[in-house]
Amino acid sequence: MKPGHLNSSPGHLPLLRLLVLLALWEFLGDLHLIAQGALPSPSAILLQWWQDRAVYPPHIWATLKPALIGFVIGDAIAAAAAFAFVLLPMFEGLMRGFNIAVFGIPPIALGPVLVITLPGDWPQIVLAAVSVYFPTMVMTLLGLRDIDPRPIDVIRSYGGGEVAVLRWLRLRSCLPGFLSGLRVAAPAAILGAILAEFGSGARWGLGSFLLGSLGRGNPPRIWGIGLTATLMAAVAYGLCALLGRRFSASMAAVTIASGRIEANTSKRGGARLLTVLLGVGALGMPFLIWWAILKGFGVSPVIAKTPLGVWEYLINAPDAADSRDTILQALKESLPLAGVGLLIALSVALTLAVMGMIWRNLTALLMPAALILQTMPLVALTPMIVLLFGRGIAATLVVTVIVTFFPAFITIAQGLSKVPRASLDLLDVYGATRLQKLRMVSLPMSLPYVCAAARLVAPASLLGVMIAEWLATGFGLGNLLNTARGELDYGMIWAVAFVAVAVSVGFYQLVKLIEEGVLRRFSPASATS
Amino acid sequence: MDGSAKPLTDDIDLNGVTRTFSVAAKQVHALRGVSLHCAAGSFTALIGPSGCGKSTLLRITAGLERPDAGTVLIGGQTPAQKCRTGALGVAFQDSALLPWRTVRQNIALPLQILKRSTPQAHDKIDKLIELVGLEGFENARPAQLSGGMRQRVAIARTLVTDPSVLLMDEPFGALDQILRRSMNIELQRIWMEKRATTVLVTHGIDEALFLADRVVVMHRDPGRIGEIVPIPFPRPRLPELFSSPEFHKLEDEVADYLYGGATA
Repeated sequence: MKPGHLNSSPGHLPLLRLLVLLALWEFLGDLHLIAQGALPSPSAILLQWWQDRAVYPPHIWATLKPALIGFVIGDAIAAAAAFAFVLLPMFEGLMRGFNIAVFGIPPIALGPVLVITLPGDWPQIVLAAVSVYFPTMVMTLLGLRDIDPRPIDVIRSYGGGEVAVLRWLRLRSCLPGFLSGLRVAAPAAILGAILAEFGSGARWGLGSFLLGSLGRGNPPRIWGIGLTATLMAAVAYGLCALLGRRFSASMAAVTIASGRIEANTSKRGGARLLTVLLGVGALGMPFLIWWAILKGFGVSPVIAKTPLGVWEYLINAPDAADSRDTILQALKESLPLAGVGLLIALSVALTLAVMGMIWRNLTALLMPAALILQTMPLVALTPMIVLLFGRGIAATLVVTVIVTFFPAFITIAQGLSKVPRASLDLLDVYGATRLQKLRMVSLPMSLPYVCAAARLVAPASLLGVMIAEWLATGFGLGNLLNTARGELDYGMIWAVAFVAVAVSVGFYQLVKLIEEGVLRRFSPASATS
Repeated sequence: MDGSAKPLTDDIDLNGVTRTFSVAAKQVHALRGVSLHCAAGSFTALIGPSGCGKSTLLRITAGLERPDAGTVLIGGQTPAQKCRTGALGVAFQDSALLPWRTVRQNIALPLQILKRSTPQAHDKIDKLIELVGLEGFENARPAQLSGGMRQRVAIARTLVTDPSVLLMDEPFGALDQILRRSMNIELQRIWMEKRATTVLVTHGIDEALFLADRVVVMHRDPGRIGEIVPIPFPRPRLPELFSSPEFHKLEDEVADYLYGGATA
């Protein structure tokens, strides 16, 4: 990653490489060599883009505006929540269930629910806000908590209390965390706004444009829309990154850091009764908030199902058994794909990251690409993949792997870059081979990061599967959601959304259990202290 | 600075201070029944093996930790009362500077916490920067300074409130031997100018002998005070003192107490 390292070759070489790549792409596209023209040439994409130039601005604006509003609202709530959590640790305990639920929500499952519940732009705004809440909240909280303890002593020795520490220390030191949270959140806001256009019937917006173009047999246009969305996400990411660089030269974390925050709170609390009460509260809180929002907005109970409404639909209603069977069938189709996709992505990410630890140039080569590619909105990606891989299981797997691979690779590689150089040097002293270094240091040390990565990207894998199913394959949960939306089966929409979140959260908790076991043995902290 | 007539120095009175920690389900007596009186304007060095509780004792004196039993009085008040008046200056092994603040802003921090920033404070900070020999670095940030310079900023920061009590926990522990010695000479000069009641925690026998009026040797398991050695050398003490026979003799004496305590 050292610039000097990469630029040891003449400066124009990367540009040259890019040009060669583009020329190759042009050649393949012009001759319709791949998938009967599913890969259009750059010139064809550009030409189509130029022909569509009149409709792009309104489409872009219809996506960008709610994304921006949602980004601001979601980040404000996230920052306020992080401050509240720091000042009142008990409150954080109470909101834990809510936080995990928000993290686990596949935006595509929430989209239809919002579309039928909220008017106007609000589904897009809310989905963008929901998408940014978790990364910003976690990174801000980490910045607020993870402060140098020594200046705290200085402040306290002048009689300063928690408020003084917050004012003089935490406020400023959380800034890099907050800004890198924004960086992760910015592309997520655009993805959220696009996903809320699915099934909204809105005329404008990149999501609507994409859906409307899917059946038209015009690959260059689909590629153009996808690349435009990608470019928007990349620009949003870049702007936030620029902002972040002004305040901190060395911000390591790019994906959301995880793990330590919850470890902090679970040990507090003292009395056992209190812990139990907090646990019950944390479990009930998401349902309470769900119920309160619907009551607050006064949406018709026919359209908007409260937790009780979903219970009614799945358990008590006359055709509840049928509904359950339908959902279970869909789960059987979706879950294995999500699981397999996740496993493939994690194995590839681990392999590359560990290899990168020994052959440093590999990481230097892959990391910049991974940083850019992870911002790619996967909706934009899916149609292109479908064009290339068809409408079967392969396409679903490819979408899932691509969506999960980049954040997983970044998490693992960045974690490994924190491994003390001395532990590898030590092995060098005894003339260890690369294989020995891999076995004795790299692999054991990467375990905690693999777990963190798995936890981070698990919800994304389900999201990837559902998007592919909705747009292309016609199987599983995604398809069920799409058909339920078409048939205005409100109960089913809510039930699928609920099940998707529950599965996501369940998977998250499962990985976390495994992670805790792993961390107890392989924690980098326990080795270095 | 603000013209109120506050006493220049305070005495420190530790009485039966006890502190236990539980480490891995075992009770560790960091301090048991420690009593010590430091007269106003005196310079006391605490020395002892790791785990003898000397840092804990200092943190309790500074009000950063509470004793399980016993009392701490500084000029007749508790540390908690005292620290809100800015009467305590505490320096740590690490400079504990805020990386986003300049030298001047770091030194001003205590005044801001105490809500005492005034226009006059600016001149005072200039004088302190001069006192610790950092003229020209007023607007540098910690990352641009060497370890020794950062530690000098930290010392200027402890002095900015005109403290009556200076508590220092191995302030030069992270510096190399040469730098450490020149900092010792500077600290003596600053102390003679300010005459605050000072407690210095250190690992270095030579540092303790050179600076202090008396050296308190502590022992561990449980943490307690062993011997108190008065240091008779007149001030100002010069660097030549380090190589004088009297100094070596006293050094050996303290070392005997230290290592005798470890094997007993």
